Amino acid sequence: MRRVGIDVGGTFTDIVMVDDQSGQVWTTKVPTTPSEPTVGALNGLEAIFDLSGSKPEEIDFIGHGTTIATNMVIEGKGAKTALITTEGFRDVMELRRGWRHDRADLYDLFFETPAELVPRYLRKEVTERVSYDGTVSQTLDLEELDLRAAELAEDGVEAVAVCFLNSPVNGDNEQTALNRLRERSNDMFVTGSIEVNPEIMEYERTCTTVVNAILGPRCGQYASDFTRKVREKGVRADVYFMQSNGGLTPPEAVNQRPVTLLASGPAGGATAVARLCGRLGVKGAIAGDMGGTSFDVSLIRNARPEMRNSTVLNTFTVRCPNIDIISIGAGGGSIAWVDEAGGVRIGPESAAADPGPACYGKGGTRPTVTDCNLVLGFVDPDSFIGGGFKLDVAAAAAAIKNNLADPLGIDVEAAALMVRQVANALMAQAMRLVTVERGFDPRDFVYIPYGGAGPVHAVDLARELEVPSVVLPPLPGVFSAFGMLVADLLHDMQASIVRNVDEIDPGALQQQIDALENEARARLREGGVPDHLIEMERRVDCCYLGQGDTMQVELANGTLAQADIDAIGETFKNEHRRQWNFDVTGRPVRVMNLRIRAVGKVGQFASPPVRKRNGQALAPIGMARIRMADGWVEMPRYRREDLCNGDSIEGPLVIEELSSRIVIGAKDKVEIADDASLVITVGRD
Amino acid sequence: MDKITFEIVRSGLYSVAREMKVAMIRTAGSPIIHSGGDASAAIFDANMQLVAQGNDIPTMMGSAVISTKASVEAIGVENLRPGDTIISNDVYLGGGNHQPDVQLTRPVFHKGKIIAYTMTRGHWVDIGGTAPGSFTPVTWDVHAEGIRIPPVILYRDDKPVEDLFRLIVNNTRDQDTRMLDINAQYAGCFVGAKRIEEMAEKVGPEALAEAMKEALDYSEKLMRTQIERIPDGVYEGSDFIEPVQATNWDKELIPVKVKVTVKGDKITFDYTGTAPQVRGGVNCPFSVTCNSTWFTVKTITDHTIPINQGCYRPIEIICPEGTLLNCTYPASVVSGVTETSPRIIDMLLETLAPALPERVVAQSNDAACSGIFSGKDPDAARVASLRREHVQYIDPHAGGYGARPMRDGVNAIRALVGNAGMTSVEQVENFFPLTIESWALVTDSGGAGRWRGGLTAERTYKVHFDEANLTVIAERGLVPPKGLLGGKEGSCFKSSVTRSDNAVESIPSKGGYVVVHRDDVVRVRPAGSGGYGNPTAREPARVLDDLRNGYISENSARDNYGVVVDTASWTVDEEATAALRMTMAQGKETASA
Repeated sequence: MRRVGIDVGGTFTDIVMVDDQSGQVWTTKVPTTPSEPTVGALNGLEAIFDLSGSKPEEIDFIGHGTTIATNMVIEGKGAKTALITTEGFRDVMELRRGWRHDRADLYDLFFETPAELVPRYLRKEVTERVSYDGTVSQTLDLEELDLRAAELAEDGVEAVAVCFLNSPVNGDNEQTALNRLRERSNDMFVTGSIEVNPEIMEYERTCTTVVNAILGPRCGQYASDFTRKVREKGVRADVYFMQSNGGLTPPEAVNQRPVTLLASGPAGGATAVARLCGRLGVKGAIAGDMGGTSFDVSLIRNARPEMRNSTVLNTFTVRCPNIDIISIGAGGGSIAWVDEAGGVRIGPESAAADPGPACYGKGGTRPTVTDCNLVLGFVDPDSFIGGGFKLDVAAAAAAIKNNLADPLGIDVEAAALMVRQVANALMAQAMRLVTVERGFDPRDFVYIPYGGAGPVHAVDLARELEVPSVVLPPLPGVFSAFGMLVADLLHDMQASIVRNVDEIDPGALQQQIDALENEARARLREGGVPDHLIEMERRVDCCYLGQGDTMQVELANGTLAQADIDAIGETFKNEHRRQWNFDVTGRPVRVMNLRIRAVGKVGQFASPPVRKRNGQALAPIGMARIRMADGWVEMPRYRREDLCNGDSIEGPLVIEELSSRIVIGAKDKVEIADDASLVITVGRD
Repeated sequence: MDKITFEIVRSGLYSVAREMKVAMIRTAGSPIIHSGGDASAAIFDANMQLVAQGNDIPTMMGSAVISTKASVEAIGVENLRPGDTIISNDVYLGGGNHQPDVQLTRPVFHKGKIIAYTMTRGHWVDIGGTAPGSFTPVTWDVHAEGIRIPPVILYRDDKPVEDLFRLIVNNTRDQDTRMLDINAQYAGCFVGAKRIEEMAEKVGPEALAEAMKEALDYSEKLMRTQIERIPDGVYEGSDFIEPVQATNWDKELIPVKVKVTVKGDKITFDYTGTAPQVRGGVNCPFSVTCNSTWFTVKTITDHTIPINQGCYRPIEIICPEGTLLNCTYPASVVSGVTETSPRIIDMLLETLAPALPERVVAQSNDAACSGIFSGKDPDAARVASLRREHVQYIDPHAGGYGARPMRDGVNAIRALVGNAGMTSVEQVENFFPLTIESWALVTDSGGAGRWRGGLTAERTYKVHFDEANLTVIAERGLVPPKGLLGGKEGSCFKSSVTRSDNAVESIPSKGGYVVVHRDDVVRVRPAGSGGYGNPTAREPARVLDDLRNGYISENSARDNYGVVVDTASWTVDEEATAALRMTMAQGKETASA
């Protein structure tokens, strides 16, 4: 049988197909179709069928990542959404706790505030109140709720978010409202904060619930349209969607909690890296995805991506587990420029796909990072996108000369080198952010680059951070799409605790766990996962009493005993010390949230067939000239497809594959692992 | 030096400063630090020049320029050892901005030589003094504003100096939280120093020093280019600051004055003519005046210039000692930095509007507008769980932010020099014996204009303390935020207590503390903000939107904007609007004739 991964990006849709038995892999790219989102993805499916000669019934698994949710929020193209909330609090979302959550430049008097997610006239209040301790001090006025709902219907509202104050402590009023709204209105998408994010702090909870509502109708529609159209093609495969947490979910779940798709796009790549680590037995990896407009970094430990509980999108905080990805505006298409004091800066402006870098010859005149890499030899003009697309070195050099070299009074080569090194510094900083700033030493990790431009800077970055080796996976250019077909099913659930460790009763906590685990298990069963492939993970968010931020601590499996509860405090203290270098004595550890993750272990990592060297000698296909930091170096060129398992070559050398080139320095060495990954041991300066 | 090492060090230092702030926020105990972000981190070179700062509270940064130097010089560079960390808060002995902002300063050593300093600053919820929360302006002198900590060494060999710790902590209320906050600030300084040591190891201490020096020159150069673009000339402005409103105290508004001279790539601010310092906490130490000035210049030139002390070199500030804006011992200062300083910035923006009409903002709420409740928690279960009995809660309140050319103001936001956010409603209710009954935007509080001023919001608290001490401190209770170029003014600050017998007592912007009891209802509403440009030039569609969303009233739509709306169909009555606007224009002509 065959698996397909589809990754819909801003410009291109990448498709990967793997044959389970032979390990054979096919890949292709088709244009994304923003106006008719299913079209691009389905075109891609057709294209990969043609390329591989597959029949629809041979496909048994489709994993699909999409930026549809992200774009909907950023472009304001979601459903017409209303909010129903506690009397006195309809402005919570607009007030944003009086704070500029984006922390944009505080010296900018002209900062923009994004349009409200829900216009004020569609934010309705109802009489009800729950106290902080869960006492219902005012029951919900149902008549009033009906009136408000009628007004919303009249205004043509498509989706309603319900978020009442203190509902994570006692959700009775909110549940009553949700039931009533669902009873009375069939055509509105209704979602409640206790379902989406039952967690204290009303601003974040409201945003999360509202975003879920905004996405609800259209994302759900997309998931069912896509699935139906796939079925119409005769494909009987299970269809899954990639969530921000790096796990897949069936279309039915997208209908209920589309907010989990918010960071679907970049999650695929990080998940693929995690799988690769598991397979290679790599304990920790820094994953770096360099595309056209950005460089995205995440951290993988023990074969799983590091997670965070919330993200900020367009200044709105959304609390939903997502992979901790740091994104900076330094991609291949980022424009390099000289500021008024003669400093070289990169981005945030990008040449994007159109006109693209100057070397694309599509009218771009400003130099990009790719143009500089081309001039220096790190990008091969003749093999870009498999040689189907020749790059214009003269145009790149002219752009660099006019915009960088001349203003700085240096030659083109020196200017290009400077841009490359500044880009390296920026990217290295992002890599430091996910390691050093999280209390990890980069020297304990390997670097796994992917994305179209990922290999181009990889070895330099590893050297800069003293990362001992680089592992270059097969098909780095479509690695994100690959992630869609190797991921597991994940279902994240949470409940509010807000108690000191010594106030927690193991029995009561066990009940909360059981309830969540049962529900999560049911969801996975609905998604077609057999019981023996379902695993549960339990975690709690903890802090020292009074702190505002939490750290996640693993909780024991099985029936909880007092000792398991006591262990929470100790584990937290150790983790706090590791990261912050101090203990707080005399303060209890407080548990804020319980988190349950149900894993449906359906993901598989397929490797291309093992290639053995049968007595033939490995020979380079020619020579390349590369401008290294200390001058031009002539080095042999190898084709990646000529390399066989067990090969080991000393640098300097260049390895080329479809659309990318990796330069390996004089002190480095490359070996071919048995899954066709290149393992580069990075020499020290 | 080579541009690459320069760029690596320069941008690396900013990222270190950010990391310091993160360490602080994630480990602190005061909600105003971890939820409100009222804390800052910066890096100084070996000459105590600020070379990098996080995207933090600007008001803390400017004064750190002065207080870091003061801290180090008070101890003496020669007396500093690896593992030392200095603490200070004092306005007169340590260059501070006000007593509740406490600074930790740590020398960074490489092979026995100081190569840099890291500093963190946090707003402590209490620093002692006459009233809980240390924020009452009704004080005779600085001693009444809380413990004065001159620069002293709080950590030696990376171990706390226990006696000093105890002395300081016991002079503040809510000691447990204080311990967390100090630890957090220390963690920030420590992690920053470690990163800089690593950097020195990597590029060499000489290159590091050289890069720091160049970073300062680089920002200075960019700033000079920008100042050259401001038309040369002398611009004069003045305004009035609100006095402390206590029985038998002088209640006259306090005049402030400025003369701005722009000449080539230099800009001079002369505050001569400003009133002498006054009794009560509204005075600004010189560090605060410098910060207000520096902030303004940075914002009206190019906010993207990498910020460091180099930006301030082309700026000269003249202000006679003993005045409101350069006060001397023993003047009280608590609200100088939070309430007076933003007013100075507003005055400067208005003064420079003729030179740079496209770069300025109509006047805003500006004030921190803090509300502080302090008392005994009557909830026994919570007392046991949270392990404290006496509680203190402080929140700044967000008001309107003024309209800008081509852009409306912003509703209820903390902007300009203070950027601390507010505590979540649910958190407040969880931790303190208070219920928040509502928090809502106030219709018509944003000044009308071609671009509308931002609205303020009002928070209503119900008191569950048996008895509590309440300090409310704000600005613009008497002087409303002005509009610009035909824009109208915004609403004033307003606060009150409604007693359980329904008697309403109003709370002035700078009065003494108030005692509140169970079931009293407290309202706090900061000022709104001014509009920009003539309101009758605003597109009727925007006015319609504003009306439908309740940002403005029907009266305002008609009287200020000249727009007539059919509220049944939510459409603009084009004809009636045209007629009304015509009449308004004629009325104006008649009036001016």
